[in-house]
Amino acid sequence: MSSTSSTISSIRVSGSRERIAGLGNILRRNPLLLIGLIVVIAWVLGALAAPLLAPFQPLQQNVAERLQPPGSPNHLWGTDELGRDIYSRVLYGGRITIPASLLVIVFGSVIGSVVGAVAGYLGGFYDELLMRLTELFMAFPTIILAMAVSSALGPSIQNAILALVVVWWPSYARMMRGLVIKAKTNDYVEAAQCLGASRFYLLWKTIVPNCLSPMLVMTTLDVGNAVLTFAGLSFLGLGPEPASPEWGRMVAVGIDYFDQWWMWLYPGAAIAFLVIAFNFIGDGLRDILDPRMR
Amino acid sequence: MSLAQYALRRILLIIPLLIGITFVSFLIANAIPADPINTNLPPSQLNNEAIVAAFRAEWGLDKPPIEQYFTYLGNLLQGNLGRSIKTRQPVAEDIAKFLPATIELATVATVFGIFIGVGLGIVSAVWRNRPIDFIARAVAVIGVSVPVFVLALLFLSVFHAQLGIAAGPGRLTVTLRDPPTVTGLFTVDSLLAGRPDLFLDAASHLILPGLVLALYIAGLISRVTRSSMLEILSMDYMRTARSKGVRESIVVMKHGLRNAMLPIVTVIGLSYGNLLAGAVLTESIFAWPGIGRYMFRASTSQDFPAIMGVSLLIAFIYVVVNFVVDILYYFLDPRIRLS
Amino acid sequence: MKLLRFLAILLAIAMLATSFASAQEERVLVIGHAESTDSLDPARGYTQTTGVIHRALYETLVTFPDDSAAEILPMLATDWTISDDGLSYTFNLNPAAVFSDGSPVTAEDVVYSVNRLKNIQGSPSFLAAIIADVVADDADTVTFTLSDVSPAFLANLANTAFGITNSEVVTANGGSAAEDAATTDAALDFLNSNSAGSGPYILESWEPQVETVLVRNENYYGDAPYFDRVIITNIPEPATQKVALESGEIDLALDLTSDQIAPLEGNPNITIFRGPGNIVHFLLMNANPDIGGPMADPLVQRAVRMALDYPGYAALWGGVQPGSMMFYGNAYSFAPEQGVQRDLDGARALLAEAGYADGFDITLEYPTFTFQGVNMDTNAQKIQADLAEIGINVTLAPAELQVALESYRTGQEGFGYWFWGPDVLDPIDFLSFLPGGKVADERALWTPDVASEELNAMVAEARIATDPAAREELFTQLQAYTLENSPWAPFIQPDVQTALAADLQGYVWHPQWLLDVALLSRAE
Repeated sequence: MSSTSSTISSIRVSGSRERIAGLGNILRRNPLLLIGLIVVIAWVLGALAAPLLAPFQPLQQNVAERLQPPGSPNHLWGTDELGRDIYSRVLYGGRITIPASLLVIVFGSVIGSVVGAVAGYLGGFYDELLMRLTELFMAFPTIILAMAVSSALGPSIQNAILALVVVWWPSYARMMRGLVIKAKTNDYVEAAQCLGASRFYLLWKTIVPNCLSPMLVMTTLDVGNAVLTFAGLSFLGLGPEPASPEWGRMVAVGIDYFDQWWMWLYPGAAIAFLVIAFNFIGDGLRDILDPRMR
Repeated sequence: MSLAQYALRRILLIIPLLIGITFVSFLIANAIPADPINTNLPPSQLNNEAIVAAFRAEWGLDKPPIEQYFTYLGNLLQGNLGRSIKTRQPVAEDIAKFLPATIELATVATVFGIFIGVGLGIVSAVWRNRPIDFIARAVAVIGVSVPVFVLALLFLSVFHAQLGIAAGPGRLTVTLRDPPTVTGLFTVDSLLAGRPDLFLDAASHLILPGLVLALYIAGLISRVTRSSMLEILSMDYMRTARSKGVRESIVVMKHGLRNAMLPIVTVIGLSYGNLLAGAVLTESIFAWPGIGRYMFRASTSQDFPAIMGVSLLIAFIYVVVNFVVDILYYFLDPRIRLS
Repeated sequence: MKLLRFLAILLAIAMLATSFASAQEERVLVIGHAESTDSLDPARGYTQTTGVIHRALYETLVTFPDDSAAEILPMLATDWTISDDGLSYTFNLNPAAVFSDGSPVTAEDVVYSVNRLKNIQGSPSFLAAIIADVVADDADTVTFTLSDVSPAFLANLANTAFGITNSEVVTANGGSAAEDAATTDAALDFLNSNSAGSGPYILESWEPQVETVLVRNENYYGDAPYFDRVIITNIPEPATQKVALESGEIDLALDLTSDQIAPLEGNPNITIFRGPGNIVHFLLMNANPDIGGPMADPLVQRAVRMALDYPGYAALWGGVQPGSMMFYGNAYSFAPEQGVQRDLDGARALLAEAGYADGFDITLEYPTFTFQGVNMDTNAQKIQADLAEIGINVTLAPAELQVALESYRTGQEGFGYWFWGPDVLDPIDFLSFLPGGKVADERALWTPDVASEELNAMVAEARIATDPAAREELFTQLQAYTLENSPWAPFIQPDVQTALAADLQGYVWHPQWLLDVALLSRAE
């Protein structure tokens, strides 16, 4: 048993070593990946350090200083309809949107991967059953299903995350199933099988790890999507409560203040740059892990 | 496998899926916690038992959920989707009224998206890893990354409010009357009615929301086009074609693009299906009376017949689009015919 | 070259088309409005939008002046007499009045419409509750008998819900005025797409959430209105209304916020109308401890009133702090300076006295709604911040209007934010907020059983008092009482602000029906 696993892992490790050796090259050749990494790190640091960086509390109102344009003495990015500081709110907003989207991805990918792996590995009846279920959920467009679920549960951050997980897992299930089926036919799996590895061991220790790199690309590419959809739900009023500095919510309020463009442009740009950055990273990772694309 | 055989097999797979869809949409609609009685009767009637009972009977609320589900299925088979609680019109009629607006928008957006997306993708693939590739890829990423609701506000603010060069929200300038309904597509109906003025007005109102949605689709399409083209361009027969002295542009367009079509068609089909439903954000900013906005209103006002009707319709469209994509595969990918 | 030719052709087509359009010149008025129509049946519809539409389609026996509720004027009735005991009202109808199909408006039509309103149990039916009987004495005379003296009965009759419908047409389309009309009347669909009144306009079409189209009533017996066609187009987003007004697509925007109107100030194409409104925005604190929790405590209720930043709300929307739940401007109403003033230390002391020195958590329910340019979401967030100052931790629970109404109407709301537009433009409307009144009893569960005897006695007196001096004293005492002890915290009475095309003439705002489209014309 131990010999099997070491052989298998050595196969994998040598593979990733080659890849890592190319990383410096890739980063140099793919400036977009670098830009993406920098922006994401900046956004995460901004959210983490919000209490230090923000001149005001995100919920602090001051009706006397409402609707100040950017560049006002106290307010770099201006103020909103209740005199709250936009810059401070955008910084704090990252503390909601970023973790919420990551949670959606984590829960969605884990649930989806388990379903997909089981379906692909067991095959037959279980495969049919699980995949029909997956297809069923995929038949509803993301935003519609999320809208229906979160309106049934009532609007809140938790329910928005839950609604998104419900619509998020099927694509992972499908992807994982495909990968597992492909991996099942690999020589080393058959080799391990011959050596008497248990079914469970095979699936989790040899097959699934080999499916992780494409899954990683998919998850990275997907974070941007999760941010977009979470912000979209929040924009529709199905996310965090009204006063929350969540970005999508801030843009929604800004619609009534069309001329006060700073109310919607800054939070909107915060979403856009974050999603662009995640997509640059995802694209870059795909380049590294899937050489055909280079 | 013949086309008929292939199509039949696909259709047989669809039926259980459709039944499952009705069940899921029923579950969702019934998960809404509030009692529709309270939201839909005036308070003066809430104490009138005759009225409350009549309302429950009308909507089948007096029966156990399972029975409600089968009643619903039975009505469905007769094409009866029930009556919207909010608009008080039959859901099927509501859908017939709101869907064309969405179809018109989604179609325009997809056409724009194909032109922009395929163009960017080809440029990217042909000049791979050159500066122009990075620019094209960056544009594609931006397209899929900027939230449509932000893009919509930005476009409205710049092109409509500031520069005044594009029409604003709505399908038509409000002073104009809708063309007589034939297809429900204003651009088509206005021409059928012999009203070029209406056509121009309707078309101009399609530009901004169409572009907003198109950029997203273009982003998706250009990515797929690029990778698909790269794969094809590296194939032997492409090299053969080049070595035979065929002009590069012809190699790319005729041999390359044609063979790269398969994944592109898939992504176009899927994104079109998604647009029909997912345009809710764009529709709400552009005051577009489409199906997404109808669904949004239904879901915030606990209008369960409408929620079910629309979920069903959209899932159905998704299934049909998938089916069409499969059939296209049959023509584009000879391997299916052989298997 | 090809492109140029194509553009030239397009241009030619466009020019041709515009010349076509001007040939069939029709006077059209386009109003941008966030539609709230629940039904266009006058016996069922009871929202701001239906007020505007019914004013144009239907006429009432008596009415108010164009721009106020200062006096009662004749409309379908030319004159009337009131019996000495105040219980019986006899009206003589205008013999010239005809419905849109040309048939005369008779006493039978009045009897039918009133009974139908009363029996159908629709949203506005409570207005007719006081009517014990209505009979046609002859073709042109009708007599109402009331179950109790009501000083505001005539003002009541001026409500658009009392619009007189053509009984023949409504009956022919399934209408019923019988006692069981609530279940047997089937004229709803007909009246949602047609009208059967004697007003200056008739209903051409209503497409819910899209538009309502009125066309001139060719058989109107009064002065013909200026506009041939009135389109009330549904534009839920005020920002979109503003854009549409600026580009000239609409003539009148009914729902702009003060922040949207301010930048329109210098625009030569746009006129701005401003005036005091009569809508009171208030907090409801349920008097039943099982539902209201800490909010049921009168000390907490007073603390909440003392915690609100009244000038702040006025700064947000323009307008004044209402002195009480009676709108400022109504007879005998308290002025802003007579109302509660902000006193955070006093509020904290009251909370401590009530046993909540460390504050408490509470959920505020309210509808996601922008009413006449006032966004309730914005106010709710300010309420949240104001109450945080005295340690009350508010969670906001907005919901779509119809959904939010559910717990409000059934009295299940512990802490809510709503607004009130008077049903009757008379001080008596204030009694809705006192024990025995509709809102107090049904929404806040502040019923006569739990109220003090002293208060119940005052309310009973105020309900029937007719002598002005006595009324003034009673309503002053009642308002003063509610400042100390009541489940209400009124906090803003916003100004009315409307933006309209500069060439539009005759615009006035009315406290009851908002807008009378028949008064409008265009400068030529």
